[in-house]
Amino acid sequence: MSISVEVFSTPGCGRCAQATETLKSVVAELGQDQVVWRDVNVLDELDYAVELGVITPPSIAIDGELVFPKLPTADKFREELTRRLNMAPAP
Amino acid sequence: MHEEAMSRVSPARLKEPSRESAALTIGKVARIAQVSVDAIRFYEKEGLLSPARKSDAGYRLYNEDAVRRLTFIKHAQHCGLSLAEIRELLELKSRGDSCCEDVRGVAIQKKLQIEAKIRALKAMSQALSELIDICAGDRKPLDECPILAALESSLAKGPRP
Repeated sequence: MSISVEVFSTPGCGRCAQATETLKSVVAELGQDQVVWRDVNVLDELDYAVELGVITPPSIAIDGELVFPKLPTADKFREELTRRLNMAPAP
Repeated sequence: MHEEAMSRVSPARLKEPSRESAALTIGKVARIAQVSVDAIRFYEKEGLLSPARKSDAGYRLYNEDAVRRLTFIKHAQHCGLSLAEIRELLELKSRGDSCCEDVRGVAIQKKLQIEAKIRALKAMSQALSELIDICAGDRKPLDECPILAALESSLAKGPRP
């Protein structure tokens, strides 16, 4: 079973793009069959963003839960994904 | 001589326009910007505005920049921005390394906050509708009031996560 990572940001945000590139490489390391990355434009999916509690994009939700209201470091992100992947096979 | 003659003809167009135009008293700037004198004093206290200079008698004097700044503050408040957020925008505006994207980011964050508040208010309104629906509004004694009973039972359950 794969983990869903949703990154809430706004297009044209240079800093967001730069920061998310590093995090994307973490996902690539773990394998795209394990982690599915989706870029979400907060303005296109405003209701969904608000429902999850996104206030200060860029933010990251994992499996439909806002886990990082602000972008984490690559290490923290990797740690969280690894923890979840290790938990995944358990019932 | 020639320069002296020119300055007499059109002083506002020549050098030191800010000093020339820094002649608006607090009352006058308040009238032009359509805000109260108290509001201007408050914005000054909050660091959002400052007089261009003081007169010899010690009165604060403002220029057109102050009027523009007050208009900016007023419009930003109409969009729901707090004074802290307005300060952030004014700082962005004066910083050489910021761009439109930074300002847009502030606007998007504010919109998300407002949408979250609307959502919370709608949930409150819905909760009140449910309470209103369970009460027929008849003249039952208070200890049989379904709204009070429902509120008590909700309280007994504790706040929802």
